[in-house]
Amino acid sequence: MRKSKRFAAIALVATFGLVAAACGDDKTATTTTAATGDTTGSTVAPNPDLKVGLAFDTGGRGDGTFNDSAARGADQATKELGATVDELEATTAEDRQPNLETLTTNGDGLVLSVGFAFGDGLAVVAKANPKTMYANVDGFYADAPENVTFLSFAAEQASYLVGAAAALKSTTGHIGFIGGQEIDLIKAFEAGYTAGAKYINPDIKVDVQYLGAAGDNAAWGSPDKAKEIALGWYADGADVIYTAAGGSGAGTIDAAVEAGKWAIGVDSDQYLTAASPDQQKHILTSAIKRVDNAVFLTIKAFKEGTLKGGFQMFDLSNDGVGYATSGGYLDDVKDKLEAIKADIISGKIVVPTKP
Amino acid sequence: MKLIALLKGKATPARTMLFAGTLFLLLSLARVLSDGGDLTSSQTMGTTLRVTCPILLAGLAGLWAERAGIVNIGIEGMMIFGTWFGGWGAWKYGPWVGLLLAIIAGSAGGLIHAFAVVQFNVNHVISGVAMNLFAFGAMRYMSELVYTAKIQGAGISQSPQQKWPIPRVNLPFLAGGDLFGWKTPDSLGWLERHKWFAISDLAGILRGIAFNVSLASLLVLTLVPISAWVLWRTRFGLRLRSSGEAPAAAESLGVKVTPLRYAAMAISGGFAGLGGGFLAIVSSSYYRQGQTANRGFIGLATNIAGNWRPVGVLASAALFGFAEALQLVGADSLPKLFLFLTFACGLGLLVSLLRRKMVPMINAVVAGGLFLWIYLAVNEVPEPLTKAAPYLMTLIVLTTASQRLRPPAFAGIPYRSGESH
Repeated sequence: MRKSKRFAAIALVATFGLVAAACGDDKTATTTTAATGDTTGSTVAPNPDLKVGLAFDTGGRGDGTFNDSAARGADQATKELGATVDELEATTAEDRQPNLETLTTNGDGLVLSVGFAFGDGLAVVAKANPKTMYANVDGFYADAPENVTFLSFAAEQASYLVGAAAALKSTTGHIGFIGGQEIDLIKAFEAGYTAGAKYINPDIKVDVQYLGAAGDNAAWGSPDKAKEIALGWYADGADVIYTAAGGSGAGTIDAAVEAGKWAIGVDSDQYLTAASPDQQKHILTSAIKRVDNAVFLTIKAFKEGTLKGGFQMFDLSNDGVGYATSGGYLDDVKDKLEAIKADIISGKIVVPTKP
Repeated sequence: MKLIALLKGKATPARTMLFAGTLFLLLSLARVLSDGGDLTSSQTMGTTLRVTCPILLAGLAGLWAERAGIVNIGIEGMMIFGTWFGGWGAWKYGPWVGLLLAIIAGSAGGLIHAFAVVQFNVNHVISGVAMNLFAFGAMRYMSELVYTAKIQGAGISQSPQQKWPIPRVNLPFLAGGDLFGWKTPDSLGWLERHKWFAISDLAGILRGIAFNVSLASLLVLTLVPISAWVLWRTRFGLRLRSSGEAPAAAESLGVKVTPLRYAAMAISGGFAGLGGGFLAIVSSSYYRQGQTANRGFIGLATNIAGNWRPVGVLASAALFGFAEALQLVGADSLPKLFLFLTFACGLGLLVSLLRRKMVPMINAVVAGGLFLWIYLAVNEVPEPLTKAAPYLMTLIVLTTASQRLRPPAFAGIPYRSGESH
């Protein structure tokens, strides 16, 4: 009797483990076909030769910003180019390289990865599979082979514009910036934001805090911490806070609603992805990174056979980045912002990338 | 003389009160001397409360389980259940339903753990770890089932945002709340603004609990005295604790250990689930994968540092919350905390002098000197250190207190009903 009970117990624990492992397993790719997407535009029949892999970083579809933006680009490619897109999302940091390998062996001619964190895995996989094309959003590593394209965004330019907008709209002369991981990529957001704010008001006070050190992935998913920081600054007199921290940014918007102040979104137009009209009333603008454009254009170039390796820069001049005007809160200062934008494009204003 | 005898003596409530009071005065002194306005401001205390609540709930979850003789390593997993079901319920039916669902989901997790360890005598740690793994995968799977139908803002790793939050209130007469439409004075705010020694600090601390406080936070705080009362003042609590101390003896006296342990695990899981729900509904406004961020384990640590007592758990959770809050909203005043730590070491030195104990004396002098040096030398604590501050503080408490801690005698030891007969 006892023995059988013990066996049952072991079996129970083993089942837990198996179920957990099965649930955590993402190796089976979900395929989105031409049927998805509800945006307007002509739909093309699926093109069996255009097989594209899309590896999301942690967060995946539905993160409201970065990955969602890439997903929109892929959806557009599905619709307008007839691409078949296989999607995989990294659950943990260890998933990234295996996901790239899975997509490669799946027969996808072009494998897109979203996020700089794919760098190390990409270096290994791209070298081993010279016939497959790879494109990576935000990343860069030296001596990459020819089959790798880096899609770069001048995020500091968009940040400069929202920084100027924040300074123009602030009545207290006190604004804030919350970053995700303290890495060069996010520091560029801070640098642009601060410079833009100081361009309008040299005496403005800009509070800066990061949610985590480099490598601390929780920094992208800690809305509770972002909310506390934002509440603290709002109570101290800040009236606009810009957050570049992935999923944590929702916390700043919550705080803005609670305190009755402004928040600035990032990557996607967060006015459009906000949950309720209450939140929309507090989203001043968003620094937009057109990851969707970049993804779509890359797939298009791949289809036309014009995709080359190396750097591909997306900035204000080719609408790769920009600022959102949804809600109309910037109507009174729009001319000023457009003038600054023109100055950046013409090179009259040089935006720093380091704080 | 009486005071000295009290300082030298054994741990009694009076002695604990004396120490707590002295530490508070030292904190206040440090605040005045270093002009560290944020150390005890109501803003910092409000954040402390919100950061403390989930950890406190995890700690109480550990307390309830271990008091009944079950080690609950699975708190983290039960919290994950709570975040998911809390986020889903709050999005679909409103925040209160969300919290209720979080409790139920956590309880279900607790019962699964109880089933494994009570019925099948599975090693408590292994079952708990399995629970954590299972919860993570299962909730991700649930997201895939529920959230992939193109719901705005939802995805495999997060729920859509909730439409409305749990109401926040200002308590009347203390923090200027409304009473039947009449706006009462903000007396604590008035006291806090004057920056008086001790009085303003006390007002700041109290106002953190009274001003703009979520009803959910107040509810969580009441669970501490309720836990203490049920566990130490009721028949049910006595029996529950006896099954954690000496289950064989309890059983020989007719106490039904097995059902009691199930009940304890349902309660423990409920606390953990509520902690998860709090994170998804009060601390933020949506479920997100990884939201619990190992708070379940920190809760276990506070349970140990709190010596398996509700008030102790509250104190150590609040200490962690305070360090975390300072890191989030008062990073400027963190160096000033070192002045307070220097004073605290001075108090330790005094006590060890009275007791004529050499080792603690040397420890106090060395640590105090170190803290004083840091306070004088450092203008800004380096970022990585501020991030680690809460964990460092927990570690210090655990290492210094571990000698005098007394866990339930039978926690984690396999026990079969009727074993001793």
